[in-house]
Amino acid sequence: MIEETTESASLNSQELEAMYAISRVVAQSTELDTSLNEIINFARPVFIFDNVVMYLLEGSESLEPSYARAIGRGRSSEADLAWGEKTAHEIFRTEQIVVRKEVKGDFSKDRMRLRYFLGLPLMVVGRLMGALVFVRYGGPPFTPDHTQLAEFITTHVAQLLEHQQLVKRLSNLEAERRLERLQDDFVATISHELRTPLGFIKGYATTLLRDDISWDEETRKEFLTIIDEETDRLKELIDNLLDSSRLQSGTLRMEFQPVRLDTMLRDMALRAGSFHENLTIELNMETTGVQVNADPTRMAQVFDNLLSNATKYAPGSKVSITLKAAGETAHMEVSDNGPGIASDHLKNIFNRFYRVPNEKTSVRGTGLGLFICRRIINGHYGDIWAESEEGKGTTFHITLPCEYVDGSLSDNQPM
Amino acid sequence: MTTSILVVDDEPRYVRLMEANLLPEGYQVLKAYEGQKAVELVAEKQPDLVLLDVMMPGLDGFQACERIREFSQVPIIMVTAKGEEQDRVKGLDRGADDYVVKPFSATELLARVRAVLRRAQVSGSAFQQAIFNHSNLKIDFARAEVFKDDRMVFLSATEYRLLLQFAHSPGRILSSEDLLMNVWGPEYKDDKEILWVSISRLRQKLEDDPRNPKHIVTRSGMGYTMPPNEE
Repeated sequence: MIEETTESASLNSQELEAMYAISRVVAQSTELDTSLNEIINFARPVFIFDNVVMYLLEGSESLEPSYARAIGRGRSSEADLAWGEKTAHEIFRTEQIVVRKEVKGDFSKDRMRLRYFLGLPLMVVGRLMGALVFVRYGGPPFTPDHTQLAEFITTHVAQLLEHQQLVKRLSNLEAERRLERLQDDFVATISHELRTPLGFIKGYATTLLRDDISWDEETRKEFLTIIDEETDRLKELIDNLLDSSRLQSGTLRMEFQPVRLDTMLRDMALRAGSFHENLTIELNMETTGVQVNADPTRMAQVFDNLLSNATKYAPGSKVSITLKAAGETAHMEVSDNGPGIASDHLKNIFNRFYRVPNEKTSVRGTGLGLFICRRIINGHYGDIWAESEEGKGTTFHITLPCEYVDGSLSDNQPM
Repeated sequence: MTTSILVVDDEPRYVRLMEANLLPEGYQVLKAYEGQKAVELVAEKQPDLVLLDVMMPGLDGFQACERIREFSQVPIIMVTAKGEEQDRVKGLDRGADDYVVKPFSATELLARVRAVLRRAQVSGSAFQQAIFNHSNLKIDFARAEVFKDDRMVFLSATEYRLLLQFAHSPGRILSSEDLLMNVWGPEYKDDKEILWVSISRLRQKLEDDPRNPKHIVTRSGMGYTMPPNEE
């Protein structure tokens, strides 16, 4: 049964009371569904409806029902009730209040065949979040007064949603913070990386040790090679970890000596070429004879890192190394034409433990390599940064103060 | 008949490791390097056991396990690099039968494989068809796709899960409480209206005449049912 009320243009005391009650619910809300139930209960005596459905935007393309109540006629009809789908879709399209009437056959015998819909957009900070649709069977039709009441309710529901969003954002922020703390926690971050090579070593060693099988020579060699390579990887990982914590604490000692950059880069390219079979390196020495004060072992570490990254993240791409000198600064570039790095991530790649999340590849890494590079270059009073365009490739730039430039030293003069 | 085992890991070296140990035992080895491919292979080849790595790009091991459980009871052993309790619990909760923590020895792996296969033999295989048909309705479980008269129907995640409840037990009457518990979770147990709206939406999308449904029928006072196929 629906109790009929007489509505006037101005709010009567019962309506006012309901409004206050609704506002109070919003102010004290902790849980969305409970608050919605309360709002619906307070609204019912002053605003007649049989069903109410809240649709929320799921992704950006559709409205999904997230709350529904049938309080009036036809509760027994369950899923056959009208739920204002079309009204919700119209709101999704227009972001406007929608009033609809629907007649399903002869309604003189069955009032449920005559439906009135009042739909209101749920806006949070100017953006459509969803829709609230009220349904009445058999009338009376929704009047502008009703719409006003419904608008009041909708505004409050939108506030509830906004509140809920803020709570969610807060908890996301907290989760992010926790993650950051976790990233500082060396053990947690690194355990997976350590377990992977360890897992191979253990797995292949115990496979070879199985006494029920005698492996042929070729297989034995294959497995031993894997164990050997994974041991190297483990060693590299541990070295990196030690370096990074020494660099972090400033206890890594550099042994500076005069280094000719062109000779150094040629050596690097040669070494990397023999290390990574499929790597093609192009050397562009725009200047020669540039000398810097550097720790050759640490500089080699930097270039090893950059070149090994290129083979991992830009497989098959040619890598060019360029040496230029401008005034008293030596400028080196290492570029590939691989898939590039999105700008969101580019600013973070030199951070300790930062890894670019990538759905497609499962390249192993620790997020330490570039951190180490930056620390080493900074230890040389130089600078390192990256430029990248997605789909085009990535260029790493390194500048170092020149200690000495011999002979005719400008970029433009032929050697 | 040879026992076939599907090995899933994004690291080829792990796949090789498991293959090397399983082949001499007389198992047939199927390989997948990503989660989605694994789900499809389970549907297509119906292996007797799945060794499923957790950390994979794309569909991870937990998600793949859930997807497989939508249509198959094949025994699953999760292979995880994290041995923390919450990870093991997460795997088991998603329908895994056992787990192995990396690093593991070859003999331990084989022992677990044998144990799980033994248990599966006792309980008997409960493999379902990967494709479900209900008159003009078709569900491809492996791809999570639904077709009406061979035309793909777009369902939301909730609607799909709701439909699966019926497709998994045609002929059975499912109460509103059960449906709400299974699809929305225990806290929605009494939220009947949200079920009504969703059933109404499913009918709009799947039925020729939503007011006279053939796929999801209301059994007044008891719940809903998908009538068994007339064959």
